[in-house]
Amino acid sequence: MIHAERLVKDYATGGARTRALDHVNITIDPGEFVAIMGPSGSGKSTLLHILSFLERPTEGAYQFGGRDMTSLADADLAGIRNRELGFVFQSFNLLGRSSVYENVELPLLYSAVPPRERKAKVERAVGAVGLTDKLLVEASRLSGGQKQRVAIARALVNDPQVIFADEPTGNLDSASGAQVMEILERLNNEGRTIILVTHETYTAEYADRHIRLRDGKIESDSKPGKRRTGIDGFFK
Amino acid sequence: MRFVDTVKTASAGLRHAKVRSLLTILGIVIGIASVMLLMSIGTSAERLIVDQVERFGSNLISIQPGGSSSSRFSPPPAVLGIVIKTLNERDLDTIRREPSVAGVSAEVRGSARVIFENNDLATTYIGVTGEYFDIINLEFESGGRFTPFDDDSAAPVAILGPGLADELFGERNPIGKTIRIKDKTFRVVGVISAEGLGLLGSAMSDMVLIPMSVAQKQLLGINYYNEIAVKAADGYDVEFVKSRIISLLRQNHRITDPDKDDFTVRTQAEALDLLGTVTSVLTLFLTAIASISLIVGGIGVMNIMLVSVVERTREIGLRKAVGATNRDILMQFLVEAIMLSIVGGIAGIALGALLAAGVYVAVTQFSTFDWAFAMPASAILSAVLVASVTGIIFGLYPARRAAQKAPIEALRYE
Repeated sequence: MIHAERLVKDYATGGARTRALDHVNITIDPGEFVAIMGPSGSGKSTLLHILSFLERPTEGAYQFGGRDMTSLADADLAGIRNRELGFVFQSFNLLGRSSVYENVELPLLYSAVPPRERKAKVERAVGAVGLTDKLLVEASRLSGGQKQRVAIARALVNDPQVIFADEPTGNLDSASGAQVMEILERLNNEGRTIILVTHETYTAEYADRHIRLRDGKIESDSKPGKRRTGIDGFFK
Repeated sequence: MRFVDTVKTASAGLRHAKVRSLLTILGIVIGIASVMLLMSIGTSAERLIVDQVERFGSNLISIQPGGSSSSRFSPPPAVLGIVIKTLNERDLDTIRREPSVAGVSAEVRGSARVIFENNDLATTYIGVTGEYFDIINLEFESGGRFTPFDDDSAAPVAILGPGLADELFGERNPIGKTIRIKDKTFRVVGVISAEGLGLLGSAMSDMVLIPMSVAQKQLLGINYYNEIAVKAADGYDVEFVKSRIISLLRQNHRITDPDKDDFTVRTQAEALDLLGTVTSVLTLFLTAIASISLIVGGIGVMNIMLVSVVERTREIGLRKAVGATNRDILMQFLVEAIMLSIVGGIAGIALGALLAAGVYVAVTQFSTFDWAFAMPASAILSAVLVASVTGIIFGLYPARRAAQKAPIEALRYE
């Protein structure tokens, strides 16, 4: 599914070059639930952004679903993000003045989905996160947990193969965090690949594979298997 | 992204910032409204002038003393206040005998004080031959014209302009009363109606018309004319009549070189043309000034769009993350700017029409002008076009700035 070799990412900050990723090799198979961990500044977010085409690597080769990604144009990458990837961010990134429906519909506006099919897709995605009764509520009126569930519905609406989640529970209380992890686990059980960036051990324990980064390099890559599961598992 | 969705997205963006959107379009509204107002007034003024000139007869030809260069913009010397004595009674008689001429009349002008009882006003008197009233269609409020016989017999009669009559006599009926001009006594026989004067109103309202013979011999002591007015006979082309007059006057004045004409002949059409050019240039000039406010309005749109792009950086990042291309983002912000401008343009057209209607009401209420309300379709069309182009020009730069943001940079923006 995902195969990257010798990924390097350099940032120029005030004349000095900072290496955020230093020759990282990574392969992720379909259906895996991967937690990318590490202290802040370890390069875990950068890796996620490169794997999800939000950013281009300075060097290295990247294949997604067998296709070489390094040579694709911005518009092609936008199309792949739209159809094949879903995003969940720590700060939700919802359009606050728009309704839940409009937020979830957003990716469909940028794909070729005919308008008459959109409604069914939005309703299915919102139903999957249990917010059907909030469909027409303005996003800014929702609680943090509800906002993140809307974000997950938005990530789901185009039925993507891979969902990237960047600290999805970082801004949530424990109960909401548990709900979000339970939904991600369910999506993984349905066969979707989940790539989670986190610095919290207990959220990482929903994943079956842990990749630890330090100073832009992979420190360890292990498959301890899932140690937590379901809402209750969050509080163990 | 489908265009319908782009428009929906853009209008949602504007709705979410209602007050700001309204304030932004204000510049465009004022710009378009002032352009519309000036174009409307220009068109109305032009129609008014054409109507007026046609009312006094489109087959009129005016002869003034002194030559003028071939350019229609250079006035004859008489207009500039230079006294030229080349037009005289012999010319009048010659033209009167020309078969293509239906009527001919002469004018002289002078300044004097007009006195009735204790009222004393400085005014201009015009001496006209009796045929004057056959050529110029004047309407009378009371009384009437004097005849060629009055002119021949140097009868001391006078016709007052409506303004002068009002100031001298107030509520009283002037007909039959006597006034004094330069120590000479005149009997008032008529008062011109203000309605019939139209555009000549302001010029003729305070004047007094007296017989030519009295003005020329008794008041001025001259034997030349300030102007001769000719009416072409029915069935004759005005240009042909003009050329006949020119050749007759050249014979009378023994002129062989056309460049040395000591008179100027102008048809009503030429006068109309000249006035039309003047009003067009004036309208264009004022519209150009008004357009400056439109540019200012456009800069306002650009300014707000730039602020909006910065404010919505995270939104741009999110949209790109979920699949928006650079083109999608460019279109979204460009359409927002264009919508602002078009809404402003439409509001501006409405406001401009309202103001033009206000001008119409004011002019028809407070003056005797036969003012027509004009809102030319070309003006409306060009206003919408100009508004859209303003939106595109001033929206493009902010939209490009938005489109070029890298998705992750935009998402990271705090």
